[in-house]
Amino acid sequence: MSEQNSDCGIRVVGLARSFGKVAAVSDVSFDARPGRVTALVGPNGSGKTTLLLMLATLLVPERGSIRIDGHDPVTESREVRSLLGWMPDVLGSWAALTVRATLELTGQLYGASRNAASVRARELIELVDLVEFSERPTRVLSRGQKQRLSLARALVHDPRVLLLDEPASGLDPGARVALRELVRRLAGEGRTILIASHVLSELDEIADDAVFLERGATVTEERVTAAQSKPREWRIRTLDPDSLAAALARESMTPRSTSDPAETLIALPGERAAAALLGRLIAEGVPVTEYAPSVGDLEQTFLDLNGGGAR
Amino acid sequence: MTGFWRGLWLIASIELRQRVRGVAWYVLLGVFMLLLLVVTVLLAITLGGIASASGAQTAGPALFSTVIYFVLLLGTLVAPALSGNAINGDREAGTLATTQVTLVTTPQLVLGKFLAAWFTALAFLAVSVPFLIAAQVLGGVQGSTIGISIAVLAAELGVVSAVGVGLSGIIRRPLFSVVVTYLVVAALSVGTLIGFALGGFALQTHHTVHASYDNGSGVCQVQPDYVDSVPGFDKVWWMLAANPYVVLADAVPAHYDSSGNPDDLFGSLKFAERGAQIAPVIQTSVSDCTPSIVPSSPSAREVIDSTVPNWFVGLLLQFAVAVAALIGAVTLTRTPARRLASGNRIA
Repeated sequence: MSEQNSDCGIRVVGLARSFGKVAAVSDVSFDARPGRVTALVGPNGSGKTTLLLMLATLLVPERGSIRIDGHDPVTESREVRSLLGWMPDVLGSWAALTVRATLELTGQLYGASRNAASVRARELIELVDLVEFSERPTRVLSRGQKQRLSLARALVHDPRVLLLDEPASGLDPGARVALRELVRRLAGEGRTILIASHVLSELDEIADDAVFLERGATVTEERVTAAQSKPREWRIRTLDPDSLAAALARESMTPRSTSDPAETLIALPGERAAAALLGRLIAEGVPVTEYAPSVGDLEQTFLDLNGGGAR
Repeated sequence: MTGFWRGLWLIASIELRQRVRGVAWYVLLGVFMLLLLVVTVLLAITLGGIASASGAQTAGPALFSTVIYFVLLLGTLVAPALSGNAINGDREAGTLATTQVTLVTTPQLVLGKFLAAWFTALAFLAVSVPFLIAAQVLGGVQGSTIGISIAVLAAELGVVSAVGVGLSGIIRRPLFSVVVTYLVVAALSVGTLIGFALGGFALQTHHTVHASYDNGSGVCQVQPDYVDSVPGFDKVWWMLAANPYVVLADAVPAHYDSSGNPDDLFGSLKFAERGAQIAPVIQTSVSDCTPSIVPSSPSAREVIDSTVPNWFVGLLLQFAVAVAALIGAVTLTRTPARRLASGNRIA
C-alpha cells in the first residue's frame, strides 16, 4: 500500500496481546509513515495504550510483529529505544527534581554527556514554554505543565519516531495550538508521529492518516471507507431561517432543526453534494453565514464505526 | 564497561536526589542523632561509674559497641521503609516506565536503586561518627574492633537495603513489599532468637545428679539419683548464626579486661552465643564425703577460644538472600515484559 521504504516508520502486522483472559489487543495491523502524523483513534479500552506499550518496548506481543525503522522492539529494544520518543498517558515525574534537572538527567539516561544534556534541556524548556518553571520542582507543576514536561522528555534524544498518548489532555487552548504547530513541524522534519487520542476534533486538524481501533483490532479499510462515505450532517447557519427552509423544501430535503433557530442540520452524501447544495442556496439568495460539517471527519467516522460495531 | 557504571550511578543519584531532598529526611537524622546523644551521655555516666569502680578499665569499648548496635538497630528499622518501595513505588508514581524506555538497562536500574538505598542507610552510620569518636576519646577501643565492626555493620545495612529493593521489584504493591521487608528483618533479628530458644527447650536433655553425703558417722550415704532437664542449645546454636547482631558480635575479635571478661558488648554477646555451642553437662556428682575440687566454669576467653566462629556462615546466608532478591527484581522488572499481572498497568 505504501511505496515508501518499508524499513522506515512504524509497521505493525497481526499484533496481539492479552492479559489473562482479557484480549487487550487481538489483531492490529497498520503502517505509520515518516513525515506524516498518524492518528490512533478508538474508544476507551480499545487497546490504544496496550498497543503503545508494545511499540515503546515495554511489553512483548504474543503474536504478530512490530518494526520501528526496521528494528524489532523485542529483540533490538536498545536500537528502538534510542530512536523512539514515548509520551505516556500517565503523568509521572520525579517530584523532588526541578524541570531542568529532570530533562538533563533523562538526556543522560539516553547516553548524552552532561554538557550536551544540559544544552538540550535548555532548548526543550524553551520549546515547551516552561522557562519560568525550569528551577521549580516538578511537583508544583499543573497538569498542563506536566504534560508539556512529558512532551519535552519524549523529545530529549531527538527521536525519529514519536509516540504520543493523549498529548493534548490538560492543555489550555494556547498550548494546544503550540502543540499542534510543534507536531506539524516535527513531522515536517521527516519524523514518524503516532498520536493516540479520543479528542477527535483535535486530531482532525493535525493528522494525515488515521488508524481506527475497535475492541483490540484495527478496523478494515473497507469499513473505514464505507463509514466515511455515509451521509453526514452539515450545519447551515443563516440570517433568514425562513428562506432557507423554503429553499430546502424545494430541494425536497428534510432538515433537522436545533435549539438555535438560525441553525439547521441536513444530511448529505459527501462533500460534492454539499458543495452543489451550497451553490444552489447562494444562487437562490439564502443569506448563508456558516456552512460546515457538524462534526469533524475523524469524529464522524469514529461515531459511524461505533454505531456499526454496536449493531 | 564505563557505560554500565555511569548508568548505575545516574540511577543512584536520581534516587538520592529524590529521597534526600526532603526536610523530613533531615528531621529523621536529627532525631536519630539526638537519641544517640542521650544514649551516649547516659552510658558514659553509668559505665564511667562502673569503670572507675572496677579499676583500670575505661568505658570506651562498651560505649563504642553500644553505639554500633544502636546504629544497627535503627538502620535495620529504617532501611526497609527507605528501600522497600524503590521500584514498585516508582511504578505507582509513573516514573518507572519512562526510565525503562531510556537506554538504562534493568540491572543498572535495580543495582542503582540498591546503591542509593544502601548509601541512605549508611547516612545513619555517618551521623553516628561523632559518638564513635567520643567513645574513642574515652580510650581503650582497639583498631580491629573499629574496622571490623563498621565493615560488618555496613554489610548488614547493605543486606537489608538489597532485600528491600529486591522485594520492591518482586512484589507489586509498595505497602506490601515494605511489610515483607520488615518481616525478613524481624525473622533474622528476632525469629532466629525465638527459634533458638524454642528449639533449645524442645530438645532438652536429662541431667542426672548423683548425690551422696556424710551422714555424720563417717558412712557415706548415697542418695537416689536426682534427674532434671537442661535445654539443648548446643543442637540449635547454628540458628543464631544468621542473626545480624550475632554476626556482628561473632565477627569482631574479642578483647578482654584484666580479669578475662570481654570489654565490650560484642564480646559479651559473643561469649553468650559461643557458650551455646558447648554441650550441657549431663551428669554431676555432688558429694561431701570425699573432698573434691569443684570444677570452675570456663572463662569467657576459654569458651570463645574453644568454639567455632560462624559469622561468615550467617553473612553468606544473608548475602544469598539479598542477591536472590535482587536477581528476582531484575527478572521481574525486565522490559519488554512478557508477564504482567492482570489489572496492572505497566506504566
